[in-house]
Amino acid sequence: MLNAFAAWLIKTPVTAFLENAAWAVPTIQTLHILCIALVFGGAVFVNLRVFGLIERDQPIAAVLGRFLPPMAIAIVVLAITGALLIASEPNRALFRLVFWVKMGLVLLAVAATWTQRRLLLAGSARDGAATTLSVRLVAGVTLLLWVGVIFTGRWIGYATGWPGSPS
Amino acid sequence: MSLTDVLTSLQALPLSTAIAESDWLFPTIESLHVIAITLVVGSIIVVDLRLIGVAATNRPLGAFTAQFLPITWTAFALAALTGSLMFLAKPVSYVGNVFFLSKLALLLAAGLNMAAFHLFVERRAHQGQALGATRVFGLTSLTIWIGVVALGRWIGFTI
Repeated sequence: MLNAFAAWLIKTPVTAFLENAAWAVPTIQTLHILCIALVFGGAVFVNLRVFGLIERDQPIAAVLGRFLPPMAIAIVVLAITGALLIASEPNRALFRLVFWVKMGLVLLAVAATWTQRRLLLAGSARDGAATTLSVRLVAGVTLLLWVGVIFTGRWIGYATGWPGSPS
Repeated sequence: MSLTDVLTSLQALPLSTAIAESDWLFPTIESLHVIAITLVVGSIIVVDLRLIGVAATNRPLGAFTAQFLPITWTAFALAALTGSLMFLAKPVSYVGNVFFLSKLALLLAAGLNMAAFHLFVERRAHQGQALGATRVFGLTSLTIWIGVVALGRWIGFTI
C-alpha cells in the first residue's frame, strides 16, 4: 500500500514542480526550520518557566498563553511543509524507519505538550506554583521528545531505506 | 603560508578526518547545530517581536529581553562550536561556497546591528523612547536571522 501511495505521489504535478524548481525545496526547508524554532523554542521557554529559570515574575498561565498559540500555528505549517518535503522525493522519506520514528515522536511530543498545558493550568489555578514532581517530570519528558523529533528529522537525510524499498 | 595551505592543514587534522569519515559524527553534530539554531532564532524572534512592538508590549523592554538573551548567547555558543566542527570536515569546500561566505557576512551584520542598537538606542528604548528606531533595529534583526537560516539550508545543497 505504501509502495502504491509513493508511486502515485511521485507522478503528481506537485512532485514534478518541486523537482524542477531548484529553489523550492531549500525554501520549504527554511520555512520548516523557522517553524521548528517556534515550536521547540516555545517548548523550551515554557519549560524553563516551569523549572523557575526564566520569567519567575509571570504566572505560568500567562507564559503558556504567550507561547502556545504561535506553537500551534507553527505545527500546522510544519505539517504542510513536511508533506511538501515528502512529495518532493517520496521514496526518500516513506521507506526509511527513522521517518516513522520521527512521526511517532511528533505525536507523542504534541500529546505531551497538551497534557502539560492541562496539568499546568490546573496546577496554577489551584496553588499558583504548579511545580510538583509530576509537573517537572512531564516537562523533562516533553523536552526530550522534541529533541528526539529534531534528531530523527535530521537523520532522515542520512538513513537508507529498508530492504526491498524502491530507490 | 597561504589561506589554502591553512585550510588544507586544517582538513588534515585527526579531528577533521574523523568527522569527515565517520557515518554518524557529522549527522550528530548537525542535529545539535539545528537544536542550537532553533533556540538562537526562537529566542531572537521573541526579543525582536518585543522590539518591533507586536508582542509583550505590556512588559518593560529591559526586564523582558534580559530573560531571553542568556538563552540566545548559550545557544549561539553551541551553534558556533558545532558549526566550526562541521567546517573542519571540509574547510576548502566551505570557504569556496558563496552561501557559506554570505552566511558569515550576515552573522557579522547581525552583530553590528546588535552593537549599534546597544550603543545608540538601548538606553532610550528602556525608558520607552525611540520607539521608531527600536522597531527598525528589531525588523532588521528578524530579517537578517531569517536570511541566516535560509543560507544555512542552501549550504547543504551546494557544498
